[in-house]
Amino acid sequence: MDVEKTIRDLQPLDGQVVPIRTVQETRPPEEFGNAFVAEVNVKSASKVIKALDAAFPKNPSLPLSHLRRFAKRELLPDLLRAAIESQSPPPAAPAQTIFVLISPPLPDLTTLKALLAPFAPDTAPAATNDSPTTNEVPGEASHPDPSAHTIQLHPATIPLCPPFNAAQAETWTKTLWPVVFNPAAPRSTVAPPPQILKRAQESIEPRAGYYLSLARKVAEEAEQSGLGRGVGAVIVDPAIEEEITETVYQTGHDTTTEWDQAVLAVAGDARYSRSEAGAPSQAQLHAGVAPNPASKIYNADVEGGPELHALMRAVDLIARWRREHDRLDDPSASTTTAGPSKPELEQPELSALESYFLYRHRPVTSTNISNSPQSPSSLLKRKYQDPNPESDLTIDPSTDPCQSQLHHPPLPAPPPSTVVLAGSSTPAITPAAPRIRTRSQGGYLCTDLDVYLTHEPCLCCSMGMLLSRFRSVIFPRRGRLDSGGLSSEPAVGPVADEVDQAAKADASAVDKQDERRYYGLHWRKELNWRALGFEFVENGGVEVEVKGEKAGLPVFHA
Amino acid sequence: MEFKNDSVVAEGSRHGHFMRQALLMGEKALQSGETPVGCVLVHNDQIVGFGMNDTNRSMNGTRHAEFIAIAEMLQSYPRSALQSTDLYVTVEPCVMCASALKQYHIRGVYFGCANDRFGGTGGVLSLHSDSSIDPSYPVYGGLFEKEAIMLLRRFYIQENEKAPNPRPKKNRELNTKFENGNEEVPSTW
Repeated sequence: MDVEKTIRDLQPLDGQVVPIRTVQETRPPEEFGNAFVAEVNVKSASKVIKALDAAFPKNPSLPLSHLRRFAKRELLPDLLRAAIESQSPPPAAPAQTIFVLISPPLPDLTTLKALLAPFAPDTAPAATNDSPTTNEVPGEASHPDPSAHTIQLHPATIPLCPPFNAAQAETWTKTLWPVVFNPAAPRSTVAPPPQILKRAQESIEPRAGYYLSLARKVAEEAEQSGLGRGVGAVIVDPAIEEEITETVYQTGHDTTTEWDQAVLAVAGDARYSRSEAGAPSQAQLHAGVAPNPASKIYNADVEGGPELHALMRAVDLIARWRREHDRLDDPSASTTTAGPSKPELEQPELSALESYFLYRHRPVTSTNISNSPQSPSSLLKRKYQDPNPESDLTIDPSTDPCQSQLHHPPLPAPPPSTVVLAGSSTPAITPAAPRIRTRSQGGYLCTDLDVYLTHEPCLCCSMGMLLSRFRSVIFPRRGRLDSGGLSSEPAVGPVADEVDQAAKADASAVDKQDERRYYGLHWRKELNWRALGFEFVENGGVEVEVKGEKAGLPVFHA
Repeated sequence: MEFKNDSVVAEGSRHGHFMRQALLMGEKALQSGETPVGCVLVHNDQIVGFGMNDTNRSMNGTRHAEFIAIAEMLQSYPRSALQSTDLYVTVEPCVMCASALKQYHIRGVYFGCANDRFGGTGGVLSLHSDSSIDPSYPVYGGLFEKEAIMLLRRFYIQENEKAPNPRPKKNRELNTKFENGNEEVPSTW
């Protein structure tokens, strides 16, 4: 395979990047609680709050800051207002009163009434109000006559969790109690903070179509080799993407041709590659037949295991690269840390694409710190011959440096000290450095990286993705699988015309047994690690969820 | 299901025996600077795979004990043998491993302490019993629970030199108390 030509010829997928909602968003707990509403004198509003806050401690785990503490009569939800007015008709001067919310944890009602009594509205005629002054009994003055100032407590229902969006806030405001929607509210355990989600989405959008196209190419390679199902994974470093964008901004040339520079590793599915108990693997049994006949059905016994799935393999390629480079960084490390009885998991030979992306070097601008290992490269498994990093310079000022690196084998060049790029706006190129950061450079698992997949990963891989600390995971909606771990709700097609409605009705009539579970594992408040999840919705494609076997495909784990 | 009486189980029963072997693997993990989780796979009353957490050495956060044990087993047995194999693991399998074990059609899982942060067999999710394209498997927790917890406690009072920003833990003391008030330090393995 001419890898570089393959990469050059890739056509990006055309479509949109859409965040996968969290299960809390798609199935909000919508927990409601009981509260009370009391009408008080508008002039004592701040005193009411002080008195309530002093007397009744809040539950810190239930902040309820989304609830308005007061509502004017005209802003009460219709039902609540009707209920209140059926008990106590509106006073003559409604502008003088306001309704305060007493929210959980609910205090003792007698104590509450006594506490609020001094702030009761002047509902009655002056005569009763004056009673304390005409009947001067010491002590009475400070304790208003309860019969004169009565507090009516009206039951109300309130949402205990903040609204997810303005629409929900409006609904609650109209039906329950006035609610504030704060987009910046800390709800990060339930859903990613909107600004973080937006920033990631913006960084992913421009090149996602390319990475997913590459993932499909990797999948095709896996399928054609007979080693696995047609599933592929691509790991991308957003920090390198940012550097490319930055360089492009400085030099003013087109960015899209350099999309592949940020790819750290690719891996295809290899579930048929493993030999078990010394017997030939499924790939060996069906050598030369592609796709592997085992892929026509789901027979767990010949499915290899999830560690051979594309995502897990890609994760291990990053680790493998670090293991190899760690030995170079510190030769003593390997002997001290590697146990004698810990064989590496059996993995197939790397494919052309896998090997190309894992072991190529990147051209580095002079602003970057070069940390290429100073050890003999012979220890590295290099499929593509790399010159000694010391002299590994790719300089051709007439063309785009990244392009030249891509399309031609690296050329030996003078040491960096002698490099002069006269009259070139292109940043000076220093020795090529690896894309993957070694452990000594702070490289740790797949922290802050993105992974692009052809299919929705299985539950095992979804959790493996979290344990590897990825920043985000992206797969095409077309690649959804019933066995997947990331989707949080059925894919809804456009509901523009009657045909769609009919299709929807048809879909809802599907036997409950067929309904998949939606785990939304990328962002679960219960789990310690979270990642951003995105689906890629292709333009022009029919994006109605394909139900595995009904579409002629076996259900399997990707 | 819980083992109500550890001592009954511990006395020479086969479950106790295999869990002791898993704990030994956990101890080995602790000594190698790994999160101390160990496991064994038992097929026809024979241990056919040993596993301990291997994430630090391998620099791969997915190398949990279960995968290591399965890899060892598959060197001598076909995958289908897992259908008649039980796993003994010191800590409840995480979501990743719970799903993997299901995909491998494990027969049953016996674990020590629960994992309320990542557990996939009841701790956080219950993948072992959720409907899926693979059969469910039974899970039995609480076997040598205290010993499994003590292993973890001994690990977590150490400083993690591998972490990007290690947290100083100089003043931490090993907590040897359990909620029921018994102070119990397991014998060293």
